Amino acid sequence: MSTQTPPAAVATGMAAFDRTTSRWGRLTMLIGLVVSLSGSVYLGFFSGLDIEPSLLFTGFAVVASTFFVIWLVEPVTYFPILGPAAMYQAFMIGNISNKLLPSALVAQANLGVKGGTPKGSLAAVMAICGAATIHLTSLLVFVGILGTWLITVVPPEMMEVVRTYISPAIFGAVFVQAVMTVKQVRPVVIAVAIALIVQLVLVPAVPSLWLAATGIVVITTAVVAWFARDRRAEKKENTLAE
Amino acid sequence: MQSPSLDGQSTDVLAAANHPFLWACALGVFVVIIVQSVIYIRAARKAAPSVGLSGSQLFSAYRSGAVAAIGPSLAVVIVAVALLAVFGTPATLVRIGLIGSAAFETGAANIAAGAAGATLGGDDYTQSVFAVAFFSMSLGGAMWMVATLIMTPLLKRGEDRMEKVNPAVLTVVPGAALIAAFASLGIGEVPKSDAHLVTLVAAAASMALFGLVAAKAKMPWLREWGLGLSIIIALAAAYFSHTAGLGPAA
Repeated sequence: MSTQTPPAAVATGMAAFDRTTSRWGRLTMLIGLVVSLSGSVYLGFFSGLDIEPSLLFTGFAVVASTFFVIWLVEPVTYFPILGPAAMYQAFMIGNISNKLLPSALVAQANLGVKGGTPKGSLAAVMAICGAATIHLTSLLVFVGILGTWLITVVPPEMMEVVRTYISPAIFGAVFVQAVMTVKQVRPVVIAVAIALIVQLVLVPAVPSLWLAATGIVVITTAVVAWFARDRRAEKKENTLAE
Repeated sequence: MQSPSLDGQSTDVLAAANHPFLWACALGVFVVIIVQSVIYIRAARKAAPSVGLSGSQLFSAYRSGAVAAIGPSLAVVIVAVALLAVFGTPATLVRIGLIGSAAFETGAANIAAGAAGATLGGDDYTQSVFAVAFFSMSLGGAMWMVATLIMTPLLKRGEDRMEKVNPAVLTVVPGAALIAAFASLGIGEVPKSDAHLVTLVAAAASMALFGLVAAKAKMPWLREWGLGLSIIIALAAAYFSHTAGLGPAA
């Protein structure tokens, strides 16, 4: 295969891809939104449970006041990593930080392509489809079909340990994976320094910030990494290109 | 469709939670995701030649993504199974397994049940309380999709503008954002307990080891499987430090 594709062909190929994925991505996400809501709307309003609607909306209002910051912050946080096409997949499939991002990262590392490039976007989209295949299958089989039986055989201590510690287990491994993929020292130092300050100093001081903490770290790191980028490397690449 | 056992005051929550209509909606979400994936794969295959990716490279990205997802997916399965008794199968499949995450959904359900004056799984956890919790989780989860639908086109426009001003933005920012996200998520686990710290370090150390071996010994499969293996090693470390009393105070 050739890697010397003319830039114009890349642009038209990706433009078609962007058109298809943004049209169909948005449409499928909209349908997913309606379908995922209708079960709870039926149960709350039409099933004969006879629930005061105000009770339903109070429940939601309390949830909203706790989480509305994440609803706004997460799309901004993950957009630069996922790109527009994968956004419509990721926020419908869910488990973004603990499953989809690691999958996209492994696929990009194995192909030697970078996030944010056309090759990187296609690799991420394919990896997310692969992750979705495994995920939907394992959910259907182990939760949907075997779930009620599994409850009785998996020791409760094991479930307890997995539930309590799964997040650090995944995040520790994926952080290292990300460092090995990006292969730049500066963003790592900047990100760790900012994360330490935000998570261990700022959040304990202002606890209400915990929901937005990762968003703050990502946006601050992106800005600082941009201004502190290695301009010599950039110049070298430019002169090489010329 | 009206199931005879639906009664707001009944504490037989699973009779409401495993209602056939809820099952139909849950399977509907599965179908929507499958349809979307098929459309995306076809679009990617069409675009691949123009960016210089071969069909086998595309498939290898699909396979890498699938293998890397095995560990995390099984973890989600275990968490989901543990929550079946509280939310029933359809709600667990859609809310915990898809769309949201265990952390948000159980948090939201707890808060909503509290607003209805009850506790999840408690003596006062009736079918009505479940309905309130489920509605709040579902509408809350829908807000992520609403935000994504509204903000993605805006962010895309911003990105295009940035790219015109300085294309280096796209080589610096995604990598930095990725590392920052996981640095923050990981360090955010540290204050929870010493056992969390042990788990985090064990996961990072084993991943570093697998990564180095994969690169030095030219074993790319180890990079795919390394994530799942690291998670298992880290959970083993978690188990020992938890039973040694380093876990969070009960």
